[in-house]
Amino acid sequence: MSEEFVRFCETSEIPSGAKKHAKINGTWVLVCNVKGRLLAVSAICSHQEKPLFTGRVRNCKISCPVHGARFDLETGEALDLPATKPIATYAVRVVGDWVEVKL
Amino acid sequence: MSEQMVEKSREPAPGDARYPGEPSTQEIIARDRVPAPDWVRSESYEFLGDEDISIDRYTDPEFAQKEFDNLWTRTWQFACREEIIPEVGDYYVYDIGRHSFIIARVAEDEVRAYYNACLHRGTMLRAPGTDGCANEFKCSFHGWTWNLDGSLKQALCDWDFPHVKAEQFALPEARVELLAGFVFINMDRNAPSLEEYLGAEFLSHISQWGLEDRYTYCHVSKSLPANWKLSMAAFMEAYHVLDTHPQVAPSNADANSQYDFYGEHVDRFISSLGVVSPHLKGQYTEQDIIDQFTLGDSSVAGDVPRKLGEGETARQRMADIIREAFETQSNTDLSGVSDSELLDCFSYTLFPNTFLFPGISLPMVYRFRPDPDNHRRTIYEVFFLRPVPKDGERPDPAETVYLNDDQSFTEAEGMDPGFGAILDQDTENLILQQAGLEASAKQGITLGNYQEIRIRHFEQAVDKYVEGAA
Ligand code: FES
Ligand SMILES: [Fe+2]
Repeated sequence: MSEEFVRFCETSEIPSGAKKHAKINGTWVLVCNVKGRLLAVSAICSHQEKPLFTGRVRNCKISCPVHGARFDLETGEALDLPATKPIATYAVRVVGDWVEVKL
Repeated sequence: MSEQMVEKSREPAPGDARYPGEPSTQEIIARDRVPAPDWVRSESYEFLGDEDISIDRYTDPEFAQKEFDNLWTRTWQFACREEIIPEVGDYYVYDIGRHSFIIARVAEDEVRAYYNACLHRGTMLRAPGTDGCANEFKCSFHGWTWNLDGSLKQALCDWDFPHVKAEQFALPEARVELLAGFVFINMDRNAPSLEEYLGAEFLSHISQWGLEDRYTYCHVSKSLPANWKLSMAAFMEAYHVLDTHPQVAPSNADANSQYDFYGEHVDRFISSLGVVSPHLKGQYTEQDIIDQFTLGDSSVAGDVPRKLGEGETARQRMADIIREAFETQSNTDLSGVSDSELLDCFSYTLFPNTFLFPGISLPMVYRFRPDPDNHRRTIYEVFFLRPVPKDGERPDPAETVYLNDDQSFTEAEGMDPGFGAILDQDTENLILQQAGLEASAKQGITLGNYQEIRIRHFEQAVDKYVEGAA
């Protein structure tokens, strides 16, 4: 199983409260550090496919800066209109100095 | 003079009578070890009449429509706490009736309230009740976009809209004022300033509470099955404590609470805690009273032993317990804070729909909004505010917990179980009260001159706005 994890970035790049997005094997992934916990989701909003990665994270939810849809970072669930569909979530782990995600 | 007339002349004037033979709130507070400040020590009551209050205001959808037209459009309303929008670009959507506003921080020290509707074909720019962060407000339908400052940034295919002039297409705004960490808005361009609206006396009170240095640690929303004014009135008097909250009465001076009002838009009560209800006099010992004491947040001092020493009073001991517990919890020095502020229930109403409880152990804010689709229902919210830790970061404000009709307040995360039970008792009455008003042969409700003065004061303000006179 572990072979499916791929390196995302160094842990020092995402301190607590920070987030980072990158294209991994053709998929835009967003990793957020919520008070020491790493959570990975799609970096693209399920509503009109707008970039989600500059959105504000609060209480483990991210809000899309374009139209204000909000998603649960743990489950990907869409919490507010205009989004009605979830975003993908991905497994994350830390190996040594590296953050890895599994698509 | 006949004997009957002499008897009559000894009767107090209407509104002057108080619970016979019992200490007043001021007398209770005057015995405390750490004395109370002037805002606690003052009294401001006047008799406002004793006529019945008409029932149609609670039952008639046309009355609700008049409120939407004349009251909600002209009053200052608490839209959100500033802590919800701490950074430039942060916004919160405040909805009242069919109206909706994007409350946005557009500069470090400037908040604006934009009417939440696209100027193209009307789509809401943000969903009701949501919050987030934006660099611009883009409509999801055809992509018209406004800058944070409300100016039109882009109308897609502007070659097709030569008649759209940017200067005429800025987002319309309501007025905004900030006070004590609260954002207030008013749709009426001609309304008095918030300062004038609330009055100098009240401002001298709120300026001493430090509510700007608190954060929301619990926020609960529930739809109540009664008109918004009826729902509010359920919290305006301590007269109901004996019957509605039997568990509270042994440690609450309910029938000798104090009632005041300040101008047209602010009123309050002070209900002393740690003393027995006059109705139950002689039935409880000081030890019973302290054992029965309900804290607004029992996580703070819930498990402190309450065994009283020789000659100790429940009220003094409880004040000491609360002082010590809150000092530890919030890392602050409360030695100068009066026993009354620590213990007692201070309930203020800011017309039309906000209650502030500035006390230390009961630190709530309530907001009541009419359900836009049903005049028999109210959107009720409770916020609990805690002091921001002195040496730590300001915690994120709590997410709103939405309760269903059949859920208890005790089920909300962060809600104290004892306090949740009190809110259940308060709101359970409303179902039968709304139904009873509609079933009644009597066309008005009858009020006590003193203990129910806040309801009269409030309904008189409602009348003034609804009739267009305010
Ligand atoms: S309705 Fe907003 S852009 Fe058309
Ligand atoms: Fe009550």
